[in-house]
Amino acid sequence: MTSRRNFLKLGAVAATATAAITGTGALTWAKENRIKGGRDYSPTTGKARKAIPSACWQCVSRCPIIGFIEEGRLVKVEGQPNSIRTDGKVCAKAHAGPNQVYDPDRILYPMRRVGKRGEGKWKRVSWDDALTEVAGRLKKLRDDGQPEKFMFHYGRMKASSSKLVGMFLANYGTGTIGNHTSICEGAKWTGQELTWGKHYDNWDFDHTKYVLNLGSNLLEAHTNHTSEAQRLVKALADRRIKMVTFDVRLSNTAAKSTEWVPVKPGTDIAVLLAMSNVVMNEGLYQGEGEAFLSFCRATPNVNASTADKVAALKAHLASYTPEWAEKISGVAADKIRTIAREFATTKPAVLVTYRGLVAHYYGPEGERAAQMLAAITGNIDNPGGRCKAVGAKWKFPSGPKDKPTAKKLKIVDGFKGQAKLPTHHINHQIFNVIKDGSLGRPDVYMWYCYAPVYSNGDCKANAAVMKDETLIPYSVCINPFYDESAALADIILPDATYLERWDWEDMVSPNQVPEHYIRQPLVKPLGEARNFGDVVCDLAERMGFPLGIKNMEDFVEKSCEMTPGVKEAGGFEYMKTHGVWHDPKAKPSYYGYAKPVKAADLAKDGVILDEATSTYWNWKKAKVKTVEDAKAKGYAHTKDAYKTYIGQKIGDKVYKGFKPDKVNKTGYFELYSTVMEDNGFAPMPTYKAIPEHVAMKPDDMILTTFKVNVQTHSRTQNCKWLTEIYHDNPAWINPASAEARNIKEGDRIRVASGIGHIETTARVTPAVAPGVIAIAMHCGHWEYGRYASGKKSPFVKEDIVHDKQMWWKSHGEHPNWIIPNDPDPISGQQRWMDTVVNVSKSVSA
Amino acid sequence: MKPAIEQVAVPEPDDKARIARERSSLYGFLASVFRAEPTAALLGEIRKAAFGGALKAVGVDLVDSLSGRSDEDLVEELAVEYARLFIGPGPHTTPYAAVYLGGDGASLWGPETVWVKRFIEDAGFDYTPDFQGLPDHIAVELEFMQEMTSREARALEEATVAKAQAIVKTEAVFLTRHMARWVPKFCAKITSQARLPFYSEMAALTVDFILSEAEELASTPS
Repeated sequence: MTSRRNFLKLGAVAATATAAITGTGALTWAKENRIKGGRDYSPTTGKARKAIPSACWQCVSRCPIIGFIEEGRLVKVEGQPNSIRTDGKVCAKAHAGPNQVYDPDRILYPMRRVGKRGEGKWKRVSWDDALTEVAGRLKKLRDDGQPEKFMFHYGRMKASSSKLVGMFLANYGTGTIGNHTSICEGAKWTGQELTWGKHYDNWDFDHTKYVLNLGSNLLEAHTNHTSEAQRLVKALADRRIKMVTFDVRLSNTAAKSTEWVPVKPGTDIAVLLAMSNVVMNEGLYQGEGEAFLSFCRATPNVNASTADKVAALKAHLASYTPEWAEKISGVAADKIRTIAREFATTKPAVLVTYRGLVAHYYGPEGERAAQMLAAITGNIDNPGGRCKAVGAKWKFPSGPKDKPTAKKLKIVDGFKGQAKLPTHHINHQIFNVIKDGSLGRPDVYMWYCYAPVYSNGDCKANAAVMKDETLIPYSVCINPFYDESAALADIILPDATYLERWDWEDMVSPNQVPEHYIRQPLVKPLGEARNFGDVVCDLAERMGFPLGIKNMEDFVEKSCEMTPGVKEAGGFEYMKTHGVWHDPKAKPSYYGYAKPVKAADLAKDGVILDEATSTYWNWKKAKVKTVEDAKAKGYAHTKDAYKTYIGQKIGDKVYKGFKPDKVNKTGYFELYSTVMEDNGFAPMPTYKAIPEHVAMKPDDMILTTFKVNVQTHSRTQNCKWLTEIYHDNPAWINPASAEARNIKEGDRIRVASGIGHIETTARVTPAVAPGVIAIAMHCGHWEYGRYASGKKSPFVKEDIVHDKQMWWKSHGEHPNWIIPNDPDPISGQQRWMDTVVNVSKSVSA
Repeated sequence: MKPAIEQVAVPEPDDKARIARERSSLYGFLASVFRAEPTAALLGEIRKAAFGGALKAVGVDLVDSLSGRSDEDLVEELAVEYARLFIGPGPHTTPYAAVYLGGDGASLWGPETVWVKRFIEDAGFDYTPDFQGLPDHIAVELEFMQEMTSREARALEEATVAKAQAIVKTEAVFLTRHMARWVPKFCAKITSQARLPFYSEMAALTVDFILSEAEELASTPS
C-alpha cells in the first residue's frame, strides 16, 4: 500500500493546481458546529422542532442554550453549539429546565395572604390590585422621605436584570439592598480584592500543565461549571496533566484527580503556607516567580527591590514549615514538599480554590495564601495559570438623568465590628440585625430569586423573624414557586421562569475571550406570571418616576443596538437569531497588568502620584476638596480613592497594574496588604486556628457541607428529572468515626450543634476524613412543591401524571437547621464548614 | 516506578495544519475527477512533471496514456468513458453510496442517502440550490471531506484545538462508518469495467487513499 507521505506529497502538488481543476461543488457552508446540536426532531411526527437560542439560569454559570418547541410546548433544552464558553455543552440541570416551566406546584397568579402570616391561606388578586398595593406602600415611604425603609433583597440577579432592577432602585432612592454572596464565597472575593483587585478568577485549563485544587468541587458544582469542568476533563484525559485535590471529602472532583489528599477542615491554609515556604526556601521561585515579584508588593515599602521582597517572604514564611503544617492539617510534611515542588516546577500550573478553602474563620487568609503561592511560582494572569476574569461588556440605557440621592439603612453588613472588610456584605446576619432593631428596620422587605429562610444558616431563626409582623411589617415575594420564604410573604408576585423572559448576559469566559449572549422567551409566561424586569418598569411608572424603558425586552433591544460589536453584527435581530456573539478577531486576554499607562492619562486633570504608595489616582474624582488635602490624606486613606485609580509606578514606568476594587490597595499584586494592616489584621497571609476547633471535645466532629452535580443549593429541587436522581442526602461518616459511635451503614443518627439537632441516615464510607461528617446541602425542603418536599403548594394543579411519576418518598435533611449564621471576622463570610457537632445513634431508632 | 508512557512522535500544530491542507487538496482533486468529465485544464495539470511525479509515487502512471494525443481527442475519449462508466446507458458503475450499502434496502435515494444528507447538513453544510444531483454522489462525499479537512486546517492554524478535534471526530465517523464501506466496492467495479487506464488508475488511487485515511482516523485518539 502506498505510504501516507506520498499521498500528502500528491496533495501538496494538487494544491498548487487546484485552481485549474476545481469544478463547481455541491456544498456551501451554512452554520458553525451544526453537528453538535441546534436541530431537533419530534420522535412521533418526525417534524423539525422550532429552535430558539436563549440562556440557562438554573445556576449562575448561565450557559447559552437552545430550547426546542413543539406545538407551543417547550420540550427540550440543549447547549448552544456556537458558544465559545460552553462549546455546546450543558449539565443535567440545564436539561431539566422544562421542569421549571411546567412545575405543577407553580404560582401562576398574584396572591395575597388572607390568614395570619405563614398560615397558608391565600387569595388571588389581579396584577393591577397587587401593584397598586405594593406601589402604594413604596410611594408612601418615598414621599415621606424614608425610601431606605424599602429593603430589596436578591439572591440571583445578574447582567441586564441587575442593571434594570438597579435602575429602578436607584430612581426610587433606596440603597438598602441585600445580596447573598456571604453565604456563597464572599471570603474568596475579599481575598482576591485584597491581592489583585477584582474578585473573580478564571482557571486556564486549556493551557495548563498542572492543577492544584484546594476545596473546589468544580467537576460537580462551580460558578462557571460546564465551561470550566469540560476543559478540566479535556486537560486530564487528552493531555494527561496531573491534578492534586485537597479536600476533606472524596468529591467526584477529587476522585477524578490524579491524587486526593484528605485534609482536616479549615487547615488547607496551613498546607498552602507550607508550600510557599518550600518554594521560597528551595529557590523554586526563581524564573517566572521572581520575575513576577516586580509586580508584587511584599513589604511596607512599595519600592522595595526584588531581593528585599524575597527576604521578606522568606522571613514571613519561615515558621510555616511542612512539619508545622503536618501537625495542623494531618497532611504529611513530605507530601506537602513533593506537591509544592511539582507545582512550582511544572509550568504553567493553575491553583484552584473554592469554598472548602474559604468558608471558614479567617477565610480570606486562605485565598490570600493561595494567591501568594500562585504569585511566587509565576502563575498569575498567564496562559495556563490563574487568570483575571474576562466577561462581555455591554452598553445599556442609563435611565433618567436626575436620580434622588439614595438613602440606606446600614443593616446589610452585620453588626458593628462583626467583620472589618465585608466587601460583599453580611446578609446572613440580616434577620439578626432586624430583630435587634438598633440599626433600623425596613418597613417593606421585598425579595427576588432568593430563598432567605432555607439558604441561610439557622433556618428556625430566619423563619421566626420573617413571620413576625412587628419586625417586618410588610413583605413581598417575587418567585415563580412556593418555597419556605414565599410561604411567609404578605403578597406573592409570580415571576416568569428564566425560560420565559428576556435578558442580556455576560458570564466569564473560560478562554479569556468575552462572549455576549442573550436570554429570550422560549414560551410565553404561564398563567399571569411576569418577568420582574417588566414589573419594575410598571412600578416606577405607577409611582411617578418612569424609567423610559418599556420592559426588559425593550432594555435588551436597546442594549444590543448600542453595544459595540453586537451592534455591527446586526444588533437585536442578530442576537435573537443567533443567541451568542463574540469578536472572531479577539485575542485571549493575559498579562493585562503589564500594560503601560498612556502619558495622556497621567496628564489628565486631577491625576497625582501618591508618594507613599507610588499609585496614580485622581483626587478630583475622589471628591477631595483641594490637592493639598488629597496629598495630606493620601491615596490609601481617602474614602473610595480606589475608584479613581489610574496606574502603578514601578521603577520609572507606570503600569496598569492590578486595578483595585472595593478597597484602596495599590496597583501591585499585594502579598503585603496595608488595607489588612489598617484593619488590625496581619499584613501578610497568616494562619489562625479556628477557635471552635481548638475547643473541641474528643468525641466532637466537624460538620462540612457539599454540593452534587444535579442540584443547585435551593432552586432546582422542584425539577422532577433532577430530584428523581438526587433526593436524599445521608450523612457521610468515616468507618473509624462510625465505629467509635457504634454507628452502622443506614443507621438513623442524630447530629447536634449548639443551635439544634437534625436526624438523618448514616452513610459509612472511607471517602470522608475521620472526624468529619459531610452532609449535602440540597435536601430537606419543607415547601417548594411535591418533588422537593413531598408537599404540594397551595396553588397546586392536580395532575395524575405527576403523582404517578413521583416514586420516591424521601426528601432528605437540611443541614442549615444546625449551622449558625456566623461571620468570618475579615469578610463576613458565613462559616459553613466550621460547625462543631456531636454525632450519635438516634435514640428514637 | 513511573508508568512508562509510549513515546510517539506527535506532529507539531503547524505540521498538523499542513497535513490537513494536503489531505484537503487531494480530496479536492479526486472530487473533481469524479464530479464531471475531465477538462483540458485538468489534463494539463496532470501532465506537468511535478504532478506526474507525485502521481507516480502513489502508483498512478498516466504518462503513456496521456501523451502523444491532442487534448481535444483525449477530452472527447474520456468524456465517452466517463458517461459509459458512471451514467450509462447499459451496465455501469453507479457512483451513489446508497446503492452499495443498505443490504436489501439498497437503492437510489435509499436510507443511506438520507443518512449522508443529514450527516453533511448536521456538520454545518447545505447543498447549494443549483446542485441537481443526488446527495450521496462520490464527488459530493469527496468534496465534503475536502471541506472538512480544510476547516480542520484552519482550526489548527487559529489554535482552536477543541474545534479541530471535533472536526477530526466528524471526519473519522464519515470515513469509517460510511466511505470506507462502499468506496472499495465502487472502485473495484470501475477497475473491472474501465477500458481506458485513466479511471482505473484513479480508482486505485481513491481506494488506497480512502483506506489510508480510514486507518489513520480510526487510530486518532478521540
